[in-house]
Amino acid sequence: MSDMPKVRLSGLYKIFGARHKDMMPHVKAGMGKPELLETHGHVLGLQNINVDVQAGEITVVMGLSGSGKSTLIRHLNRLIDPTDGEILIDGIDVMKLSDAELRKMRQDKMSMVFQKFALLPHRTVLQNAAMALEVQGVDEATRNAEGMKWLARVGLDGYENHFPAQLSGGMQQRVGIARALTANTDIMLMDEAFSALDPLIRTDMQNLLLELQEELHKTIVFITHDLDEALKLADHLVILKDGAVVQQGEPQGILLNPSDPYIEDFVSDINRARVLRVRSVMQPLSKGKFSADVDANDNLESLIALSGGDTKHKYRVMEDGEAVGQIDMRDLVVALVPRISSAA
Amino acid sequence: MAFYDGLFRLLGLEDWCGGGASDAPLSMADLLAQSNGEDSAQGAFFPFPSLDNLNESCGNLSQTRDLTKGIEDGFLAAKPALKSVLDPITQPLSWLLDGALWTFSATPWFIMVPILVAIAWFASRSKPVTIFVAFSILLLAFVDHYDVAMQTLSIIFVCTGISIVLGVPIGIAMSKSDRLQRSVVPILDLLQTLPTFVYLIPLIFLFSVTESKLYGIAIILYAIVPVIRLTDLGIRLVDQDVIEAANAFGMNSNQKLLKVELPLALPNIMAGVNQTIMMSLAMVVIASLVSAPGLGVNVLRGIRNLELGVGIVAGIGIVLLAVILDRVSKAALSRVDMTHKSH
Repeated sequence: MSDMPKVRLSGLYKIFGARHKDMMPHVKAGMGKPELLETHGHVLGLQNINVDVQAGEITVVMGLSGSGKSTLIRHLNRLIDPTDGEILIDGIDVMKLSDAELRKMRQDKMSMVFQKFALLPHRTVLQNAAMALEVQGVDEATRNAEGMKWLARVGLDGYENHFPAQLSGGMQQRVGIARALTANTDIMLMDEAFSALDPLIRTDMQNLLLELQEELHKTIVFITHDLDEALKLADHLVILKDGAVVQQGEPQGILLNPSDPYIEDFVSDINRARVLRVRSVMQPLSKGKFSADVDANDNLESLIALSGGDTKHKYRVMEDGEAVGQIDMRDLVVALVPRISSAA
Repeated sequence: MAFYDGLFRLLGLEDWCGGGASDAPLSMADLLAQSNGEDSAQGAFFPFPSLDNLNESCGNLSQTRDLTKGIEDGFLAAKPALKSVLDPITQPLSWLLDGALWTFSATPWFIMVPILVAIAWFASRSKPVTIFVAFSILLLAFVDHYDVAMQTLSIIFVCTGISIVLGVPIGIAMSKSDRLQRSVVPILDLLQTLPTFVYLIPLIFLFSVTESKLYGIAIILYAIVPVIRLTDLGIRLVDQDVIEAANAFGMNSNQKLLKVELPLALPNIMAGVNQTIMMSLAMVVIASLVSAPGLGVNVLRGIRNLELGVGIVAGIGIVLLAVILDRVSKAALSRVDMTHKSH
């Protein structure tokens, strides 16, 4: 992986209001969101966002509603213009692009999946899937072939001549994903893509996404308000609160070392056994007898099942056929208790 | 002795006024009052200080009829200039209307009726509607109203067609610009609330009554409003999420308009077209006052000559045409809606 991230946001600010540019000095001087709203009537959407999105990874931006996460993702393809700051995609400053260049970049570099699907209701599933290529000016036979391929890949073969309104929500979002994949872009932006779906279908879709990602290695920016979803998908997790990044990094690291009471609060409700992996809890390998070998990427839940609840077991942790560490069931149980700063 | 004499005396304007001796021509009301041997000013104890009442005391002040006269003179003065601009622009409308009238009346009925029924079928795709259309036209023909009905229909076709051709682009432009919308909406309100007869007055002055564009313009001005309004509304109502998706995939504004906005606004635009058709039918009857041919002429004859039967049969003919046009365009409208959610 090269040093240059696929997408780099640096010093990004967004202020909503008529005189947003004039508000920058106040914000830079440290005025907070409530204060700015009260004294100047402007809303601080994003403040000093610095995020690097690495190629081939899933970067999840998580936050509650109003935290600015949807605003943030719309800056990447400039559906929203920032008040201040820099957006680099493949090293190109997006802010310097002309309208035509911007459209070209949206066509070639990034595709987007929407919370409310945003399919064209007057077009068939296939025409929707092939839309991105149609915009790019690809001829009809090619784009239909491409559309059919990705529809089949997301499990929708046989539905190509239906209209979106005839499909269930989960299937409509599959069309949305097929549309984004057909565009054949490196970057996929997913704005709460699974939030409108019911829990079982959501799990299905998450698995579908992970499965596709295994094969395609797209650069995905995924927005969600659901921590379980974030932890399941993220290679890199960014937690947003009131338009500012509170913590970012590897998700297991955030779970084990929350930097802030806000995040502690967040992670305390999580089923840690399912989310934490052996890799994050294991100790360096030492001599001794091991009950069995486990994989570094297994989650703790599967270990508990394996041990039958007996804390006397110790396991050897394997990764790619090599022993990389060990895990004691006692450490495992301790790791399941969330750290609360007041108790610590 | 008029009521306001004292006032002018108080203001010292007696000399300027000429001592109350009005040299304006007598109005009909004055004449009547004189012949009855009364002084007109004695009618009210405290008359409102209107132009006419003040004129009683001061002959140098204008009367209200001078105001209406002024408007008329102004209009007549502007007429040559207006006419030299509007005449060439609107001339094609005359040709279109005359052409359509000629085509509809020159085509023999045994060709025309099947064509109309076929149009009804292709627009509505509905058997009951098509049968109703065929039945209505044959009924009108049976009572010898075929020719006048065709005249009315041809005028409606031309005027609705032009209303759509002009109205849809105006509606699109309005949906794109808030400023344009703010300035056009009052004009549309005016066109819709102006009593229909009032349209005809300036047009009669501008164009000669023998020209067909006279009633063509009146009908179009009246009927174009709904298609403009509903095109504007339809495009503004298109789901913002879908527009955002179109932007995110890099569509330019033409692609957005043609591939997203117009198709999604089509049900609303079609509702506007339906209204436009109905309003041109309403206006074509009134336009018979200014020589528009068709069923309206018979209605007018019924009123003028108190020929009850003639007026009522023509009226029923208009109702039949209205129902035909409404059913066919509504059926077409619901077909447009269906393609979105057909199961």
